[in-house]
Amino acid sequence: MNLASYRKKSPWILHYNAGGCNGCDIEILACLAPKYDIERFGMINTGNPKQSDILLVTGPVTKRSRERLVEIYAQMPEPKVVISCGACASTGGVFRGMYNCEGGVDQFIPVDVYVCGCGTRPEQIIDGVVQALAILEKKTKELEESVKLKREAVKEGHQLNRRHIADEIKPVLS
Amino acid sequence: MNDVLIPVILILLAPLLGGLLYGFERIVKARMQRRIGPPLLQPFYDFLKLAGKRRMMVHSAHAFLGIMHFVSLWFALAVLLLGGDLILVIFLHLLSTSLLILAGYSTRSIFSHLGANRAAISVLAYEPVLIILAVSIFMLNGTFDTAAVFTSSEPLLYKMPLAFIALLLVLPIKLKKSPFDVAEAHQEITGGVELEFSGLFYEAVYTAKWLDYVFCYTLVFLFAGSNILLGAGLLVFTFLYLNALDNSTARVSYKQMLRFSLGVAFSLAFINLLINSLT
Ligand code: SF4
Repeated sequence: MNLASYRKKSPWILHYNAGGCNGCDIEILACLAPKYDIERFGMINTGNPKQSDILLVTGPVTKRSRERLVEIYAQMPEPKVVISCGACASTGGVFRGMYNCEGGVDQFIPVDVYVCGCGTRPEQIIDGVVQALAILEKKTKELEESVKLKREAVKEGHQLNRRHIADEIKPVLS
Repeated sequence: MNDVLIPVILILLAPLLGGLLYGFERIVKARMQRRIGPPLLQPFYDFLKLAGKRRMMVHSAHAFLGIMHFVSLWFALAVLLLGGDLILVIFLHLLSTSLLILAGYSTRSIFSHLGANRAAISVLAYEPVLIILAVSIFMLNGTFDTAAVFTSSEPLLYKMPLAFIALLLVLPIKLKKSPFDVAEAHQEITGGVELEFSGLFYEAVYTAKWLDYVFCYTLVFLFAGSNILLGAGLLVFTFLYLNALDNSTARVSYKQMLRFSLGVAFSLAFINLLINSLT
């Protein structure tokens, strides 16, 4: 019996709205409701970055929310996976090019799974999470190997911290 | 021989039992909401997963307090099951809770502070009732030892039914169940004191929650004395009562909680004590 294989049965989800219209958030909550009931796969919506494995981001990144986004991402312990939910989070969607928007989530943190749709369907979200689980498992293995070989842990693509981004915000009236 | 062996086995298996109980509770809760619910072994899957995460801590004292919370709670449970002094058990439990509260205060997170404040208020709400309970048991048996309660052929339930009702009223506060879950309040302060724990250190707090279940259900079992059948009945009743209450009520504010527990539950326990000391 391989105990490690049971690990992927308990993905805890952190849901963050970076500034969308709440359409996608409602669909995520619908996943938790009796019809789709993702708790039967062991998923919980924790709301606490320090205890979660999967970051579900919805909505385009606004100028104010990008700091929080990176901060939350940095607070999650590895292994972690990011899913961008909806057209907004993936590319900017209908908000793309607006004066208060930065565009997709992947400009700030590495995204592993993109889920499409303006108003993603709950089925799509569940499918995205299942794909994310495979990636999570792979990342866990990599992390373990690096520990065994006493190598440095695998770094994510580009590591940012909050201060990097914070000083870019300029006062509007000056 | 037998009266030592069974408690020792129970003590060693307590985290396992508590985990199963927690898993079963999640299923029952889901079924009450017409959902399917997670598998029975879900808490153990969570346990395995948390063990594999990167170890992050706020500072070493914080992590240490979390682990000591688990250890002291297990110790309290051991004393209770081995038939120790009930007052000692209650204060050991208080010690373990206050370690967690200290851990909550030791970080800089505002949610953690809020959670610690509320946890301290919850202690204020249920602790007096438990103490009165212990004193009533002393009035009846002439000793604080739980061993005397476990072996007495006449169940406590018949002698002090009011105290049992008082215990049922404060159990949701202790187990952090709705309507008295201000200390945890996942949608509001995302877990309170346990907020800053992660990975392996959260595991200690998470497992301590399972131990708390075993502790509370043992307190309920005390009321049945040596009558195992009655004890099983009481456990099933309490389990269903707690889950039904948790699913059907909304959270009340800490002031309402304090007023209710000190007003209703405490007076019930006190009346019970008066009746016991008069007869
Ligand atoms: S993708 Fe569409 S539904 Fe989702 S947050 Fe953006 S605008 Fe709203």
